Amino acid sequence: MRYYVKKIVSLIMVLFLIMLLTFLAFQVIPGDGAVSRLGVDAEPEEIEALREALGLNKSLPERFFRFLGGAVRGDFGMSYQYSRPVSELLAARLPATVGLAAVSILMICIISVPLGLLCARREGGFADRAVTLLTQTLMAVPAFFLGMIITFLFGVVLKWFSPGGYIPPGESFGKYLHYMIFPAAAISIPKIAMTVKFLKTSVLRERKLDYVRTARSKGNTERAVLWRHVLRNALIPVITFMGMVIADVLAGSIVIEQVFNLPGVGRLLVVAIGNRDYPVVEAIVVYIAAIVLTVNFIVDILYQRVDPRVRIK
Amino acid sequence: MSAGENGGKTAEWLLELDGVSVGFPMRRRGMSVVTRGVSFRVGRGEALGIVGESGSGKSVSMLASLGLLGNGGRVVEGSIRFRPEEGRILELSSMTEKELCAVRGDEISMIFQEPMTSLNPVMTIGAQVEEMLVLHDDGPKETRRERVLAMLGEAGLSGTEDLYGKYPHELSGGMRQRVMIAMAMLLRPRLLIADEPTTALDVTIQAKILALLKKFQEEYGTAIILISHDLGVIRSVCSRAVVMCEGRVVEQGRVEELFEHPQEEYTKRLLAAALGKGSVLRREGVTGGKNTAAVRNYSVFYEERGKKLFAAREKRAVVKGVSFEVHEGEIVGIVGESGCGKSTLAKAMAGLNPLTSGELELACSRPQMVFQDPYGSLNPSKTIGWLLTEPLRLGRIGTREERRGRACEMLRRVGLEDSYYDRYPNTLSGGQRQRVAIAMALMLRQKLILLDEPVSALDVTVQEQILILLVGLQKEFGLSYLFISHDMNVIHRLCDRVLVMYQGEIVESGRTEEVFENPQHEYTRKLLEARL
Repeated sequence: MRYYVKKIVSLIMVLFLIMLLTFLAFQVIPGDGAVSRLGVDAEPEEIEALREALGLNKSLPERFFRFLGGAVRGDFGMSYQYSRPVSELLAARLPATVGLAAVSILMICIISVPLGLLCARREGGFADRAVTLLTQTLMAVPAFFLGMIITFLFGVVLKWFSPGGYIPPGESFGKYLHYMIFPAAAISIPKIAMTVKFLKTSVLRERKLDYVRTARSKGNTERAVLWRHVLRNALIPVITFMGMVIADVLAGSIVIEQVFNLPGVGRLLVVAIGNRDYPVVEAIVVYIAAIVLTVNFIVDILYQRVDPRVRIK
Repeated sequence: MSAGENGGKTAEWLLELDGVSVGFPMRRRGMSVVTRGVSFRVGRGEALGIVGESGSGKSVSMLASLGLLGNGGRVVEGSIRFRPEEGRILELSSMTEKELCAVRGDEISMIFQEPMTSLNPVMTIGAQVEEMLVLHDDGPKETRRERVLAMLGEAGLSGTEDLYGKYPHELSGGMRQRVMIAMAMLLRPRLLIADEPTTALDVTIQAKILALLKKFQEEYGTAIILISHDLGVIRSVCSRAVVMCEGRVVEQGRVEELFEHPQEEYTKRLLAAALGKGSVLRREGVTGGKNTAAVRNYSVFYEERGKKLFAAREKRAVVKGVSFEVHEGEIVGIVGESGCGKSTLAKAMAGLNPLTSGELELACSRPQMVFQDPYGSLNPSKTIGWLLTEPLRLGRIGTREERRGRACEMLRRVGLEDSYYDRYPNTLSGGQRQRVAIAMALMLRQKLILLDEPVSALDVTVQEQILILLVGLQKEFGLSYLFISHDMNVIHRLCDRVLVMYQGEIVESGRTEEVFENPQHEYTRKLLEARL
């Protein structure tokens, strides 16, 4: 219990630090929110009035605590560009990004574990060599290029989906999922390739250890040895790796959203940076940081569950 | 020689190896054969020892019996037969994997050398022992837990309810080996194969584990095959023994006969080296003279994570205020069980742990250390030459050529040729690696060398050579050794004085003869009694 408290306290501290750094970074960048919103030709009085309204003329600490206080409530202020609350913009974009990430992660977990085990079991055999060749190739292909191939193959040639389309989950959840599968495949295939390779190496390393010999000497079949004894041990390093992959996927696949024309957080970020829409950028940076930290926290807890040796009483 | 010709009463044989050769596939093609024509029998309820050095094929022969070879290894010639009951003979060497699974654990079970790694680290003790019952579908579900608890108790473990939910890392080595034995004996197998079951354990625990094996053999009529490199271990448990060397059976017979009248040259050598009958290597009357090292009220600490939230790290004393001296040209032994602080003391003296208090006076600037495991202590990615010259490079001593010259000179002194300079550690045997480690320690020409179990990981005949080398070098260079060992025989043969450590303190010290003949402390007596 104490361990969890400690972890949560440090998580909050890190998040605070990230918010501080984000806030300061945007103070250092030249360019004023009011100017960028009204244009350089605006009257000085007008700009001053807007600065007043946006709170830009307050002192630095005061502005930071306002930013912090807002962020805690989920209020990141108004977007310069759209004149709408940032939180509203984010909320509109989250279903695409989170859904994409969720489908990708599901695909990674479901496909890579059995494939990794298969390769380890038939090491050097036909299945292993075929999968290894495939994973080596797919690992090297950038996700956006895969996305283009998938769009061409399944969208243009086979017409399984119409490229550039997106249906919000509120409209039809089934169709929403249908449209998510293809971009999710583009994201997950290179990650699956990496996970398979990682898991295979891990299983092969575990299989050489003494406890596996003990398990065999007890009368376990090869399959039972693998599933009951080896898998859980082999997953320990894979969990760390998967944590990194999941954080990466959740943090937004900017390029893939672009390729598939999905209205996600990634695309919002690209547009916001281009327009110096700092409240939006700030909010997305904090969102990404929070996601990465939370996933790391979950990975730490999972670690405790899987490996009793790191369990702290 | 047919199987079991020398086998005493083997009419009631249980397991028979008949001309068994085991091979492993080589990288390109063909098999590399590691044992040739191994034949022996073990009788029902008999305790048979298999003796030999590493690579002699003793473990491989037994693993082959259960089809546990791995790496594609298999019986290429001969046959292994098992006779669980009169009139039922199982041809183990030609059974399928599925058929073997039914025999493993149920009829024949096995325990291994490393209790630290032989249990699954992520499964509870209870689940691992109970798995035996699950796999062989023995008895109703409700009674399983009870049976496991009873068995753990029989294996000499207390607090079994508590133990059931614990994980292996929470147990000591001795306890884990008891768990392994409980697991192996749960289904009352007809044969228990114990592969170096006590080698990794402290001497005081060794005897207890062997007694436990003996108890089960007598109580349940379980036959035991005890594999060991240690003749003392074999003698204390077995009535008959098989001596193996380089994949062949050299000699077999009753233990008393074998030990008193060995016929073969190899058996004689093994006996001489193993039973501490080797000559005393130390010289008499060296003690006295100037101090090479003096330690007064010396404590060594480890840092531990604090118990409270965000608490500072806490210091824990592992060595508690010890005082002793090492004189010029003297070999001082330190004995004690694992965890008593003997290695920690040596590491601190070598400057590898800065958390110390008390006084440490040294006659040389950098005492050098030789470690136990010659497989782990040499960086595998560097050549021997690189490793040997490293201390010189770090101290900016000599030119490239001079360094090479000194390294080659030192290689010759430890009995290796110049050509070893460009070789990598993985091409060397354990003994050769330990020679390199010793050469490395001598490169800086320091007067004090700290040896941490330098021969414990080596075969007995290699041990002998290394000990002789160490004594020779000591005389040649006028060195002082601080020699750590758990092996009382080695200490007796080598050391001028001995310090006995127990729980971080020196509980007894004195001239070796005196301590061995008239031990004062109870722990010292226990150590001496545990000698087999």
